[in-house]
Amino acid sequence: MTTAFTSSRRAVLLGAAAALAAPRIGGAQPAAVRLGILQPVTGALAQDGEYGRLGAELAIQEINATGGIRALGGAQIQMVFGDARSNPEGGTAEVERMNGEGVVAVVGGFASPICLAASQAASRYDLPYIVDVGVSDQIVTRGLRNTFRFGPGFGAVTRAALDNLVTLNNAAGRPARTVVVVHEDGLFGSGMARLMQNELPGRGFEILETISHPTPARDMSNIALRIRSLNPDLIIPSSYYAEFVLLSRTLQQRRIRPKGIYCVLNGAASNFRFVREFPDAANLVMDVNHWADPRKPKTAELRRAVEAQNRFWLYNTPLNYSAVMLVADALERAGRADRGAVIEALARTDGNFTRHIMPYGPTNFVNGQNQAGQAVNTQVIDNDIKVIFPADFADARPVFPWPNT
Amino acid sequence: MTGRDLLPIAAFAAVAATLPLFVTAGTWLNFAVFTLIICLAAQGWNILGGYGGQYSFGHAAFFGTAAYATAILQVRYGVNPYPAFAVGVAAAGVVGWVIGLLSFRSGLRGSYFALVTLAFAEVFRVLANASEWTGGAAGILIRLDVRPENFQFASRATFYWVALALVVAALVVTRALERSRLGAQLVAVRENENAARALGVDALGVKLAAIALSAMITGAAGALYAQYFLYLDANIAYGTWISVEALLAPIIGGAGTVFGPVFGGIVLHSLSEFTKTLVGRIPGLDLVIFGVLLILVVRFPPREIPGLLKLWRRR
Repeated sequence: MTTAFTSSRRAVLLGAAAALAAPRIGGAQPAAVRLGILQPVTGALAQDGEYGRLGAELAIQEINATGGIRALGGAQIQMVFGDARSNPEGGTAEVERMNGEGVVAVVGGFASPICLAASQAASRYDLPYIVDVGVSDQIVTRGLRNTFRFGPGFGAVTRAALDNLVTLNNAAGRPARTVVVVHEDGLFGSGMARLMQNELPGRGFEILETISHPTPARDMSNIALRIRSLNPDLIIPSSYYAEFVLLSRTLQQRRIRPKGIYCVLNGAASNFRFVREFPDAANLVMDVNHWADPRKPKTAELRRAVEAQNRFWLYNTPLNYSAVMLVADALERAGRADRGAVIEALARTDGNFTRHIMPYGPTNFVNGQNQAGQAVNTQVIDNDIKVIFPADFADARPVFPWPNT
Repeated sequence: MTGRDLLPIAAFAAVAATLPLFVTAGTWLNFAVFTLIICLAAQGWNILGGYGGQYSFGHAAFFGTAAYATAILQVRYGVNPYPAFAVGVAAAGVVGWVIGLLSFRSGLRGSYFALVTLAFAEVFRVLANASEWTGGAAGILIRLDVRPENFQFASRATFYWVALALVVAALVVTRALERSRLGAQLVAVRENENAARALGVDALGVKLAAIALSAMITGAAGALYAQYFLYLDANIAYGTWISVEALLAPIIGGAGTVFGPVFGGIVLHSLSEFTKTLVGRIPGLDLVIFGVLLILVVRFPPREIPGLLKLWRRR
């Protein structure tokens, strides 16, 4: 009797368990959540776009491999990719397509003009838009409730650049007092130069001269000679990739060695292509830019995965990886793949969001801007790009002033 | 100009106007609006290049001037977008007239004129990129405020109809020009400027009128672009992309014909969209296919697509 009862009870329990499990087994996997990834992979910005896409792809792979979105019954994330073609119209057209395909959010854009146009197009459909890189302060001051930026804006980066320079210089016993600013003559370079002219004298630096150059520039010899005659302690360049590479190579060839080269949002100084192709010219150059948190184990893991594909480790990859993780986190908290709910959840993101790999404090969005987003100081040391400041996130000590000067 | 002259334009307008009733997807409406903006820019180019035979490589100068004028008046001076739009179009006309005066008075023709227009557009681009007034390299952003009185519409269909109305207006202007004395003189200048002058045609005056009109129509496209995308920078407004788009559409569709630019614009953009959907995840492959198709389209018709149709009919 006992045996019969036990076996029947077991059968009932098994039956109940089977009945409970049935919807999971019998029913299909929960519907995949579609996520729009917008990057410029053709045109002038193709390289950046490819690295952005890589970061998003790796994040999606990881989320799917670790059980998908648990709050949605383990729903997988399905990438809907769009090529922004390096222009705002391309970005807008792709957002329209993604909206038609029912994406729950869009991540990416890279350049500010693309981010501005694409996030605006997304706002028509209340579609959450997460900016990956675009630093223009205009992006988050338009009152669009669908637009979020996890990384820092231009104002925050430049403020940090000036403050960190003073701290760095003071910590080294104030070796740098005189500065030459070299800048491209567009608004980016000119704006940065003006900022330096206004801010540096009040912080104890004397600007010896501000030298502008056009983009593209084919020769930096005259600028190098001028720098040699001025003999500044510090050179602050605001140029794009090719021009900065040319300047640093010319300085190296002419053996002009200041006490430091300090860049802000430079196109080359935080780019491994420059470090690999011109290691001597790149050596010890400092930059203030986006960079992944070197202390997080996930950063090293992601970097290995990227380098295993024979790719460089650029900031686009961790920024996009983190932005996709942010959406996944919002989906978990929203509990449904609903755009409005995801926007609400994104806005309420806090310090519990830890799956990102950026060197930021607890996340806190105000008007779509993550207040914790910050740039860090990097320096090329031993053919690697190291974080030297802020100390909380640093994986190397700054080499400043440069030796043998 | 008679009623019969306007019949094809009216038929086109009637057919095109019904599009948003069948197509409601944002993707396609966005595509249609952008195509119409390009068609409008191309119609402007067609007046000077198609009818006047003065091939410009720098219509970006007019597109960008109107776009920037519209944006700057709104953003910096708080002007309502409708008068700002009108001022933008007028500003493009003035710029066209001045560029025309400088180059035509110097007797520049053919490739020399083309190069000078290209140079003007580049100069404008560099200036816009450096000036703070235009927002420089950071660009200028028109505030998002979706209200019809603000020339911003919640529905893409409304914007489509506005763009279509401008294209139709440009078609009517082109047809009127074709039937007018000015149009005949313009064609005479295109065919043989010296002979036209010998017959008493004021070649400079005719060309100046044509470039101003041409600039205003292309300018309308620029102002519309600014109002649609609400963001401009120097490379968008004065970039070579728009100069190329503006001349490619009429050349494909039939330069010096009323419908050529619209036809060419639609064919070009449909082709580009078609190749985009043709290839999957390989970036840039669609551009390669588009390029090959473009070469085939330009190479094989005797003159252009309408020419191909004529040839087919003859057979």
